[in-house]
Amino acid sequence: MKQHTQFTKAVGNAREINELLRRYGVKFGIYKNGVFNEQFFPFDPIPRVISAEDFKRMEKGLVQRVNALNEFLFDIYHDKKIVRDGIIPEDFIYISSGYLAEFEGIDPKNKVYSHISGIDLVQAEDGEWYILEDNLRIPSGASYPLIARDLTRIAAPQAFEENAVVDNRGYAKLLTETMEYANCGGVRAILTPGRYNAAYFEHSYLAEHTGSVLVQNDELFVEDNILYHRTYSGGKTRIGVLYRRIADEYLDPLTFLPQSLIGIPNLMEAYRSGNVGIINAPGNGVADDKGIYYFVPKMIKYYLSEEPILKNAPTYLPFYEEDMKYVMEHLDTLVIKDVAEAGGYGVVFGRDLTKEKLEEFCRTIIAEPRRFIAQEVIDFLDLPILDNGETVMRKADLRAFVLSGEKTKVWASGLTRFSRNPDSFVVNSSQGGGFKDTWVLSR
Amino acid sequence: MGTISLEHSDRLYWLGRYTERFFTTIKALGHQFDKMIGTAHSYTDYLDCFGLPDIYSDNRDFIRSLLFDENNAHSAAYSLERAYDNGIVLREEISTDSLSFLQMAKDTLSRAGQSDNVRLALLPLEDIIYSFWGCVNEHIFDDEIRNIIYIGKTVERLDLYMRLKYPFAIVEKEFIRLMKNLNRVPKDTPYRYNTKYLSDLVEILGTEEDYRSGADRAIDSLGHLFETAEVFV
Repeated sequence: MKQHTQFTKAVGNAREINELLRRYGVKFGIYKNGVFNEQFFPFDPIPRVISAEDFKRMEKGLVQRVNALNEFLFDIYHDKKIVRDGIIPEDFIYISSGYLAEFEGIDPKNKVYSHISGIDLVQAEDGEWYILEDNLRIPSGASYPLIARDLTRIAAPQAFEENAVVDNRGYAKLLTETMEYANCGGVRAILTPGRYNAAYFEHSYLAEHTGSVLVQNDELFVEDNILYHRTYSGGKTRIGVLYRRIADEYLDPLTFLPQSLIGIPNLMEAYRSGNVGIINAPGNGVADDKGIYYFVPKMIKYYLSEEPILKNAPTYLPFYEEDMKYVMEHLDTLVIKDVAEAGGYGVVFGRDLTKEKLEEFCRTIIAEPRRFIAQEVIDFLDLPILDNGETVMRKADLRAFVLSGEKTKVWASGLTRFSRNPDSFVVNSSQGGGFKDTWVLSR
Repeated sequence: MGTISLEHSDRLYWLGRYTERFFTTIKALGHQFDKMIGTAHSYTDYLDCFGLPDIYSDNRDFIRSLLFDENNAHSAAYSLERAYDNGIVLREEISTDSLSFLQMAKDTLSRAGQSDNVRLALLPLEDIIYSFWGCVNEHIFDDEIRNIIYIGKTVERLDLYMRLKYPFAIVEKEFIRLMKNLNRVPKDTPYRYNTKYLSDLVEILGTEEDYRSGADRAIDSLGHLFETAEVFV
């Protein structure tokens, strides 16, 4: 709390900042009982502040982690040395829903699989950062701190005069460079499922700021293994790189789900032929599976011959006999995550379960050990947020964005999400969480 | 960017139409409001212009519904929602700044609905929409994109002006503006006009006398202007 008081000058302008966010339509979509609602994303003006020294270490750790994950993805879709050498059991590869056999042996341009990685971290009370999860498919959220910074600088310029904050507004340039590195010749495009997607604001905002064409599937077609945008005059424009914001299984009905109405037939043929770059590469889910998370520190040692700089939260895999025993004995103090779930769903805190429910859950874990991971509950640092004019403390995480182009770079900012419920650790916007800007200090 | 899909061209056209429909409706209802001061039931001439039935109980009911009722397809609020629906999917073409004016218009209209002095509360909307157009003009680099929006805007304006029986001099000016926009349309696009209906418009809007006698036919021809025809030029 004390650490942040000097950075709360923006608070005085909370009303102005939120009015600006409203004016610029900073929204996200949410489905409840089958009905789509667009909501303004609750913004808290007190920033999360990361010191220059802290960020330097975090940056090194994140670059290291994402480089190792990219090495892993290349290895898994080629030689699988890490499996053959016994570092990761093959069970964790082939039964993962994120593993796509269709991409065996395919080389994405410049061998980059995860161009945009969203790495979720939390800071413990002692200041140590822990990785909570890796998001290597279609991590979202960068646009929110990006526009919030822009608007906060208008509403509360004094906050930036008095603090040496690294400017985060270069994200669009970083993203453009990343897209260009994956470009196989043609225009840049961002593929959106449409206005009624939860992250539509972000899709359109990033398209605007990277100068990309925002497209939906029915505007695209593949001809002779080349992806084209169909123009209104009946012509066609070649697309060289597609930043897709739809999941793998919906991308191409001829390769994945035939019932997908938002995919592009033959897109995978164009990709396999090296005629279009896809950001992020299909098949990345095998590396951000919650089960694989356990092995990332081992990957870093294996591929990079380095010690991991950032720690994982202490994690147990019931798949291993020893870990299963520990989980059974300590379930009431652990947090259990279903590896197939995302967005804060499938997360169960043992302490919230009754004795009967705990026993029932133990039986489920024994029956399906590969389905779950168990983690120690990290006593993570609460952050101050403004709640009806009062400062209260809430749980918060940080999604850091790591972009891999010619070099792997960490965006000096990130999305800090917080829980608005004082008793909750769940920070996801889909479950009512808000967001903060993340300041990285330059000195 | 240099690539416009059919879907986006359609959105651009309707963004122009609905924004203009909102703007002209607000202004026309402002005049109507003025005419109604001190009279009990004097809005039917407005409804007649659009062939709409009188389903309103009194002046207040009429003005509130036509201004603020999003479920009334003839209201300003409805047009603004549709303008926003089209604009929201065109962010990368028209810019976040332009879009922000539509959001401001929505918020301002909503506040006006709570005001005791509706007419006064509506005044900032004119400023906002003028700013929207300035912003669109400033941010859109691609002439083709800008032209599609402006075609939508001028078609809508011409249609409404004729329905509202605006003087010939004003209608003629808008028609000339539309002609200029149409002449910039590339071949083989949906906004390449149908020559038959354009010829009809040229004939009817050629003189004040013809306009007076043929306004209904002109409105009909305008409605068919972009229908695929047997002959394109």
